[in-house]
Amino acid sequence: MTMDRRTVLGFGGAAVAGVALAPGMTLIAAPSPDKTEASGDQRWAMLIDVNKCETNCTACTKACRQENNVPLFGDANRDIHWIRKLEIRDKEHKRPSVSLPVLCNHCENPPCAHVCPTEATFIRKDGIVLVDKHRCIGCRYCILACPYKARSLVYKKTSFPEGGNPNVPIRAKGVVEKCNFCVHLVDEGKEPACVQACNGEEGNKAMVFGDLNDPKSEISTIIREVKTQTIRADLGLKPHVHYKGL
Amino acid sequence: MLSNFTAIEGRSFGYWRLVIFFGVLVLIGAGSFVAVEVHGHGITGMNNQIVWGVPHVFAISLLVMASGALNLGSMSTVFAVKQFKQFGRFSAFLAIALLIGGLAVLMLDLGRPDRLLLTMMHMNFRSMFTLNVFLYSGFIILCFLYLWSMFEYHQFTKVIGSAAFMWRVILTTGTGSIFGVLHAREVFHSAITAPTFVALSLSSGTAISILLLVTTFKQTKRDLEDKVVFGLRNALIFFILLVAYLLVVEKFTKYYSPAFYDVQGWILTGPYSSLYIFGVWGAAIIIPLAILFHPSKGNSVSGVMWASLFSIIGTFSIVAHLLLAGQAYPLNMFPGYEVSSAFMDGVTATYSPAAVEYMLGFGGIGIAGIIYLLGIKFFRMLPDKAVAPEGYELPWNP
Repeated sequence: MTMDRRTVLGFGGAAVAGVALAPGMTLIAAPSPDKTEASGDQRWAMLIDVNKCETNCTACTKACRQENNVPLFGDANRDIHWIRKLEIRDKEHKRPSVSLPVLCNHCENPPCAHVCPTEATFIRKDGIVLVDKHRCIGCRYCILACPYKARSLVYKKTSFPEGGNPNVPIRAKGVVEKCNFCVHLVDEGKEPACVQACNGEEGNKAMVFGDLNDPKSEISTIIREVKTQTIRADLGLKPHVHYKGL
Repeated sequence: MLSNFTAIEGRSFGYWRLVIFFGVLVLIGAGSFVAVEVHGHGITGMNNQIVWGVPHVFAISLLVMASGALNLGSMSTVFAVKQFKQFGRFSAFLAIALLIGGLAVLMLDLGRPDRLLLTMMHMNFRSMFTLNVFLYSGFIILCFLYLWSMFEYHQFTKVIGSAAFMWRVILTTGTGSIFGVLHAREVFHSAITAPTFVALSLSSGTAISILLLVTTFKQTKRDLEDKVVFGLRNALIFFILLVAYLLVVEKFTKYYSPAFYDVQGWILTGPYSSLYIFGVWGAAIIIPLAILFHPSKGNSVSGVMWASLFSIIGTFSIVAHLLLAGQAYPLNMFPGYEVSSAFMDGVTATYSPAAVEYMLGFGGIGIAGIIYLLGIKFFRMLPDKAVAPEGYELPWNP
């Protein structure tokens, strides 16, 4: 069979148009049968008292790794950190340094969700910002957009760790992940693992987790009565990790 | 003025040598894609500080050049510059070829390219990426229609050409905005980033057109009047000056605010300062302008080609600097404080690109090259000879 150039051009154009128009077609995604919806009645938030947080204490970070099976690759540039300890000090060195944990701030206006092309990052009704790991295409735009460096790409294949938490699946390489406020625990009425550890024997009772919509909750009371701050409040993201004594 | 359009014969050893060369680049790119797909991005040099590396530099540069490749068509259709009308087909086709090459790299560098279909199922219209999917798709359609109108339906050329011109400005604004809208990144975040990308597309698109036109005409033994090349040279000069102007305005604005002293000082003294000084200012601005304004080099075709080559190297440098330095500069989470952690907070990120990253980028160039070579062989893209209109004199020479 031979085709003249006009026919080839026509077919070529149709193919190009098909490929180009395809993104405009919305295919219907079947809803997950066990899909549950969080309640908008709650607004989960965290408060960290920097005065109580000690430099050498890593109870929160250890508990997070244990609870969520977060691996360490031994490469500081590629390790995954859902929560990490920072030391900050004024540039003039006039005051002592301060130690504090930094994690996803579960912003009300999360730039990571704004830039995500597939809506893999989304906000639950209770304010928890989550990543649907089955929908993430690994474009990494969210990592660039997050001002808290709270996100990590999984660079290597991981296996289920010995003694790992069976309630949390292992991660897939090539997708982005971050702190989810231990959503599986929150849905069971428990606190995130980091908060539990901080308030346990190893910790210094520097973390409070609770519902901002409940005016009687501990976190609401403290935020109402004591001066607290959020990181980079100037960006207008309305973060929901508050710091006392910063 | 217009001579017949003909396809090249494409039977020579030189032609097939080029096809094989670009074909090998495609194979190299495919090999690198498979390697990254199997082993993950762990085999690249990228990390959780620099998440967009060399493949993105290639992809974004090709996308910027694709938009700019439409310059010749736009100049004739929209701005009625007659001597460029003969390059309209070449211009629209080159734009498609470069865009496909750039998009291929962008898509194949995803962490999960197997999930690409999800971009069609779940769309977030607040994301610059989603908007760009439509902008790129629309651009390909418009370029194709523009091309078709130039082949068959001349009555629509003006309308479609004008639409394509507007679309390409919006498209490049969208590409620049991928970076410009990120307010957490001090090197990126600027309203002027997007216009700078538009200017960069003008200069790099003209430069790649000059290089390809002169080479293709020479290799196929067709006449290309020097006056036509010098007309493009004049355009290139002003486009490069426009890029320089926007870079200066951005620096001026930021140096006016003490809040930016740290980041601006870091750009001039940090690990990416060589790329900034020699790549951004040297290759993209100073060297091409020095050549083009030189009394003899600027008035020779070879000189114009050298300037074009530097302009393209400079385009890659500007994109590389924006992308890599922009990510390497530590996030300013606590303004006025020094920060340290086990996750490289407060320090400049390090990045050593791996061979697979360059290979993927070369694959994109290979795809664009193959499409171009096959296009000029099977379709009547180029005129038999390209001459300036009768009585046409260049308004000025350097």
